[in-house]
Amino acid sequence: MLNSSKVDRGSSDKEPLGNLSEVAILRCEDHGNLVGVLTRLRSVAPRLLPASLPPKVVIKPNLCDVVSWEAGVTTDPSWLPVLAAELRVIRPDVQIVVIESDAVSAYKNYRSCDETYDRLGYREIARENGIELVNLSKSESIEISMDGIPMPILISELFLEEFYFISIANLKVHPYERMTAILKNALGLLTDADISSLHPYLSLLISHLHRLCPPDLSIVDGRIGLQGQGPILGDPVRMNSIIFSNDALAADVAACKLMMIPPEEVPHLRKVAADLERKFPEVQLPADIHPRSFAFNTTSHGDILLKFANKRFHRSSELFTNRWLDRFLRFKREPVKFATEAVPRLVRRLHAR
Amino acid sequence: MPARLRLGLVGAGPVVERYHLRAVRGVPEVQPVAVVDINEERVCQFALQQGFPLATTRLQDLFGKVDLAIVALPNSLHASVTCELLSNGIHVLCEKPMARNVPECQAMIEAAQDGGALLCIGHNRRFRNNVNLAKRLMERGILGEVIQIEAEEGSTADWPRSPAYFDPVQAGGGALIDVGIHSIDLIRWLVGEFQELKYAGDGTTTTVESEAELRFRVANGAEGKLLASRTRDLQQHIRITGSEGYLDIGLWSDNLRMRSNKGKAFQQLPYLDAYVSRRPPQDASFVLQLNNLVNAARGEEKVLVDGFAGMAAVEVVTRAYDHSAALDASPAELAWGNG
Repeated sequence: MLNSSKVDRGSSDKEPLGNLSEVAILRCEDHGNLVGVLTRLRSVAPRLLPASLPPKVVIKPNLCDVVSWEAGVTTDPSWLPVLAAELRVIRPDVQIVVIESDAVSAYKNYRSCDETYDRLGYREIARENGIELVNLSKSESIEISMDGIPMPILISELFLEEFYFISIANLKVHPYERMTAILKNALGLLTDADISSLHPYLSLLISHLHRLCPPDLSIVDGRIGLQGQGPILGDPVRMNSIIFSNDALAADVAACKLMMIPPEEVPHLRKVAADLERKFPEVQLPADIHPRSFAFNTTSHGDILLKFANKRFHRSSELFTNRWLDRFLRFKREPVKFATEAVPRLVRRLHAR
Repeated sequence: MPARLRLGLVGAGPVVERYHLRAVRGVPEVQPVAVVDINEERVCQFALQQGFPLATTRLQDLFGKVDLAIVALPNSLHASVTCELLSNGIHVLCEKPMARNVPECQAMIEAAQDGGALLCIGHNRRFRNNVNLAKRLMERGILGEVIQIEAEEGSTADWPRSPAYFDPVQAGGGALIDVGIHSIDLIRWLVGEFQELKYAGDGTTTTVESEAELRFRVANGAEGKLLASRTRDLQQHIRITGSEGYLDIGLWSDNLRMRSNKGKAFQQLPYLDAYVSRRPPQDASFVLQLNNLVNAARGEEKVLVDGFAGMAAVEVVTRAYDHSAALDASPAELAWGNG
């Protein structure tokens, strides 16, 4: 039923002792029984739940678009009352805040986080349970610099406060990063709606954000995963598993195991591990958890293969890679048109240089 | 759209050219009308180049023709010129320091009251983005209780100055009143009133100081040190340390380095650098300062740095000069608790 184990963090000598990672992977076939899941977690991995809490707890779900949780795209709002009840046992007066930011939607160019809260039922559940919903894009924010990223990053002033941080992510495939779970969920901490200009620095950015706001409790809700054209337009797949960890990297490595994706093929996992001077933690799936090879969308799969074949370009500039990828795909689709239009244009441009 | 305010520049020297002129262009609500300077050739050339219809050497030529004026003259002229303008109902943005001493400042405040005009003092640093962010964060209490303040500003780079700047009587002081007064104003604004002072400078009866060191205690008991120099390149920052963290405010940059011990962001990061300009940095503080006066003249907001704030900074400087010690006093002699 459960795997709760102290994970070998693969840490260097620089890391302090006593900071052990722990991962619990629970099977959850009854999707409506999150209370039962937490009850089991409390009994088998009590260290994963906090013994005490600061006055504020911040929960970051994955609300990347207005798509229901049953589609495997967003976080189930049912987590809110369950977690709130659990947290209030530990500290009755705890202030619980849910955060998310505006984003670019798969269906339209701009999607307000408030609309997502409303339409996915977060607003109503939050009201019923005394939980505060915050749209980070509307909160007081500051511009900060991050090493290696040439433009300032806008973050909420909330991160200057003390709080216990819970990140709840889904189990999804991603065209550039292969998979997305806890670490990439941190992109929602940025207040800018359109972060496409930051895509060439995605892995570095995720690593910085992890250091800026490391989750105290990571929950990868793998009851329903997303395969195919992730992270929004894919197909749901029942995995009936939930990962809990006090270590975001370990949680994501466990998610990789579930999706049968080698963690070393995920650029942001490699970057985070390198920056933390760690090896990938060793995570064993329990016997009752059945991993499954997540499918990629055919086109996306081709993109990914090409992209990962071209690691040097990927590391230096994702956008550069994308341009060549686009050309390749256009050539594959319409070779004659490509040869008559794009090639002369490309030759002219190269000649002009 | 409300009528544009007619603007006159009083002084056509380097401060106006480098800073105020750009601000005038950045505030479309003002209409450049006139420029006054004692040097006829310079004022005519300035007006021609910068598109001011009226160039004059007589202050009185502004009366009735402008609604507000920027006064950027040697310190000795601040009080007399500003009082004359205010008495004639002209709103004034007077460069720092407000004046050489407290009585001159009081006269300016009274002139503003009598003339029904607004007086704004050019402590432009309050309008900088990083300073405003520091103010907001301090009001939220991220530092806890302030316990220590360090301020440094000084540079070997300088521009041509008139002899008045080096004359103690005309200038009212040297590095402290000219450079250090910026930090004094910010410390007052961000932390609180100066109480105990101990000053050391290399000024004499015939020349102003080029090096100044001010040790102080503010109202909440926090201790601090301020260095101002015209001969050394210093760090150009104010660092405010509290029981829960620190803020390091760049005085010549937009940067604000911060740490709050309990803050989530600092669980793994030692500090954050905030406010990094997207483009080559442009100091918007002079624009925002003029905008503030324009909005205040229209009754839309209050003057941020009024005469009382300007006078308080001058009072700290003059009180420091009154308590001066020799600059070669050792740090131990300057430290608190040693008399």
